[in-house]
Amino acid sequence: MVETTSTAPAPLPLNKRGRGGGRATTRSAGWTAALPLLVFIGLAFGIPAVALLGGAFTANGTLSTANLTESLQGAYLTAMLSSVKLSALVAVVGAVLGTFLAQAVVTSRFRALREAVLTASGVLANFGGVPLAFAWIATLGNSGVLTTRLGLGDLGWNLYSFWGLVLVYLYFSIPLMVLVIVPALDGLRPQWREAAQNNGATTWQFWRYVGIPVLTPTLLGGVVLLFGGAFAAYATAAAMVGTVVPLVTLQIADALAGNVLIGHENVALALSLDMVVVAGVVMAVYLPLQRRSARWLR
Amino acid sequence: MNGAQVEFRGLRRTFGTTVALDGLDLTVAPGELIALLGPSGCGKTTALRCVAGFETPDQGAVLLDGEDITRVPANRRDAGMVFQSYSLFPNLNARDNVAFGMRVRKVPTARRHARAAELLELVGLPSHGDRYPHQLSGGQQQRVALARALALEPRVLLLDEPLSALDAKVRVTLREEIRRLQLSLGITTIFVTHDQEEALSVADHVAVLREGRLEQSGPPAEIYDRPATPFVAEFVGTMNHLPGRLSGDLVEVAGQRLPVHGDRPGTPEVDVLVRPETVLVTPGEDGDALIVTSSFRGASVRLLLRLGDGTEIVADLPGHDAARFALGGRANVRLVERPVLVAARTPAAAAEAVSA
Amino acid sequence: MAALTPAALPDVEPPARSGGRGRRGGIWRGVVLVVAALYFVTPLLASFVFTVNDPMTGFTLDAYGEIFTAEGFAQSLLLSLGLAVATIVLVLVLTLPAMLAVRLSAPRLRPVLEVLCTLPLVVPPITFVAGISTVLRWGPDYLAATPFYQTIISIQNPAFPVVLVIAYAVLALPFVYRALDAGLGAMDVRTLVEAARNCGASWPVVLLRVIVPNLKSGLASASFLTLALVLGEYTIARLLGFQPFSVWIVTISGANAPLSVAVSIFSLLLTWLLLLVLSTAGTRRSRS
Repeated sequence: MVETTSTAPAPLPLNKRGRGGGRATTRSAGWTAALPLLVFIGLAFGIPAVALLGGAFTANGTLSTANLTESLQGAYLTAMLSSVKLSALVAVVGAVLGTFLAQAVVTSRFRALREAVLTASGVLANFGGVPLAFAWIATLGNSGVLTTRLGLGDLGWNLYSFWGLVLVYLYFSIPLMVLVIVPALDGLRPQWREAAQNNGATTWQFWRYVGIPVLTPTLLGGVVLLFGGAFAAYATAAAMVGTVVPLVTLQIADALAGNVLIGHENVALALSLDMVVVAGVVMAVYLPLQRRSARWLR
Repeated sequence: MNGAQVEFRGLRRTFGTTVALDGLDLTVAPGELIALLGPSGCGKTTALRCVAGFETPDQGAVLLDGEDITRVPANRRDAGMVFQSYSLFPNLNARDNVAFGMRVRKVPTARRHARAAELLELVGLPSHGDRYPHQLSGGQQQRVALARALALEPRVLLLDEPLSALDAKVRVTLREEIRRLQLSLGITTIFVTHDQEEALSVADHVAVLREGRLEQSGPPAEIYDRPATPFVAEFVGTMNHLPGRLSGDLVEVAGQRLPVHGDRPGTPEVDVLVRPETVLVTPGEDGDALIVTSSFRGASVRLLLRLGDGTEIVADLPGHDAARFALGGRANVRLVERPVLVAARTPAAAAEAVSA
Repeated sequence: MAALTPAALPDVEPPARSGGRGRRGGIWRGVVLVVAALYFVTPLLASFVFTVNDPMTGFTLDAYGEIFTAEGFAQSLLLSLGLAVATIVLVLVLTLPAMLAVRLSAPRLRPVLEVLCTLPLVVPPITFVAGISTVLRWGPDYLAATPFYQTIISIQNPAFPVVLVIAYAVLALPFVYRALDAGLGAMDVRTLVEAARNCGASWPVVLLRVIVPNLKSGLASASFLTLALVLGEYTIARLLGFQPFSVWIVTISGANAPLSVAVSIFSLLLTWLLLLVLSTAGTRRSRS
């Protein structure tokens, strides 16, 4: 008995090798097809990344952490904190408002409204950069149409401020959130709401125990996406506030343009590294949260 | 727990221009399982949703033990519901799904879990409490949904085609289990289905609906053997449509004269409705029927025969007779002497009966 | 246990509730939609008013006329469109075969590809450009004696800066990957390919006649996202000193406020138009 059972699997490896031999060609073909992309990423993304890393740790031609230390002090630190605060605020507010808007659209009876909002979201989510800043300056800037007509200037309104930036950043963040959350809202089956009601739950209880938990993975993903978008934004802020509101992207651009002391050119690279690290930390917080909130999916 | 009496009184509900319910009157006795049977769009699901509170009728009322509940919000009704499919909350495991109603009512956790375990045991899934819905098979999901519907000990159980998304085999076992459970709990149950076999096999009463109205209600055997209308006859089981001619109280069909049961149309030319199992076939070289097709089904064999005048007729015979009827052979056909239903003549129905 | 039900369902609410909820839901939805419409439409309307309202002469469309006559308009717009087309082609040619290969024969490569294609999301463009400019600055110093030197110089040709195409392709990777992944997920690639191969189709035929037509909507959305990205991208182009449309807008506007806003509206409309063209092209072809 023992003999037979131990010899029984013997043909299997042979078999496998036989099949594997046939597959090997397709597998190598697969690698060949993927190779250009891998090489491209390695060159186009890898070389700048290495240069960045090397530069950030090089000061006056020698290996040093001086740049990094400097990038975490004084005005640079203020700018970084301000960037993080702005992005976090935009991300959370944008996610909440975007979800409400999406829910209003998804539950609407009008099919055309849904299509219109989704198309508009697709365009507005990509409406960033300088044009966005100009549009808002024309609207609520110091001589903007609304500012002058409604006399907002006398009321202390100032677009070129932290809150002004929040208002403007939400303009592309909310549509982005709508695009992210609509499929998830569509996925909420009407049976769940009815089953909850059938078990005595109120509307609020349905959302509390079922709706929001089911949406959480998508909501978290949206928050992270919005954070990343706001954190990386440079053109809008540059056109709007110049250096009135300190932001890390403005500091990097400034340093890259050469507005630093001799020998401190690589501070820009250190600041860039800081940004990547912040983005990495956000990911490191997000991924376990995401996994936890989506454990029922696995 | 005891079942309640459910009464539909003149229920009417329209969606835009579609009339889903058109004055439905029906009473379900306490503790009985009634099957609402009909083609899609007949209003059976709408009727069920009126009991659950997901639909409000435009006219009429739903009474529970004589009490009008038409305007009671869905989350305050005393009726547990099992949906067609995918109704389990995906973010909760089986235990928490079952305990959902108790959680909403703030029942202490320990008691909630104990009760959920009890219910999962009742539906045959004692060790599946920790599984999430996507880790359960379709049949298991419906069992959990059943446990959830029973968790609050409702006086009425509502089943909205709970088996239609399942495999044939699971469908049969689960429906038998539902019946067993329903009998032991004595809970009034309304079972919506479009599957006549399902309705006939589990229900105390079958109510056939057509275009928002009750067509016939009665015990399964009565519905099958004595359908009140051609529609019921057609919908429940398989039917032959044979050309016949009325004369007096009798109808002339396939060379025989049979008594007529039920209404008769104005014209003498009619379709006579005959069940395949009431067609008697005997092999014989001189027979006037040709055996066109034969499909063996184990316990029975279904033959399609062509009569001398070109009429096609379907007959069900015991399976062990199959060998006696060779394809292309000839046979004699007779109909069992009993009252038959007749309907206004419709063209070419025999072929449909075969595919049904 | 038996006490649960009667205690829990003691009273019957007045009938008004279920009807009331629907109405309340309607009001809630209306408020959200109106506020959103105000927020999103106001800047567009106000900008338009700003551009056509001259404090001296009243209504005028001069600002829009100036766009087309301003120096470098056609040149920068063409450059942007050229960059967009080149980027779309490059990124699709690189990703599509790789993603197909991952689905067909190298599934173990999939997580690698996914991570690599998501990485650019974590890296803000400004840090990316910091890295690129370092390479471009240092490259000549170290590579002066090698053939790479010529390459470094030629990819920075202001008439058509290939370096921007490369950078934009990297930035577009996450979006293209998502769009194509969704498209490929919606069709059974393996069966399609096997069926086509079984009918004797060669690999190029499989790709162009079977995969591409079925992937139309995925390709269309990947193309649109890349297009929008390239047209709107400012940071990298500006900091590397090139002048595509997005940078040109800023350079010409200078002190002329109505002109700069007019150009902004123009660029938004342009994006909108291209989206419409792409989406109708996608649906029309898939319908036929």
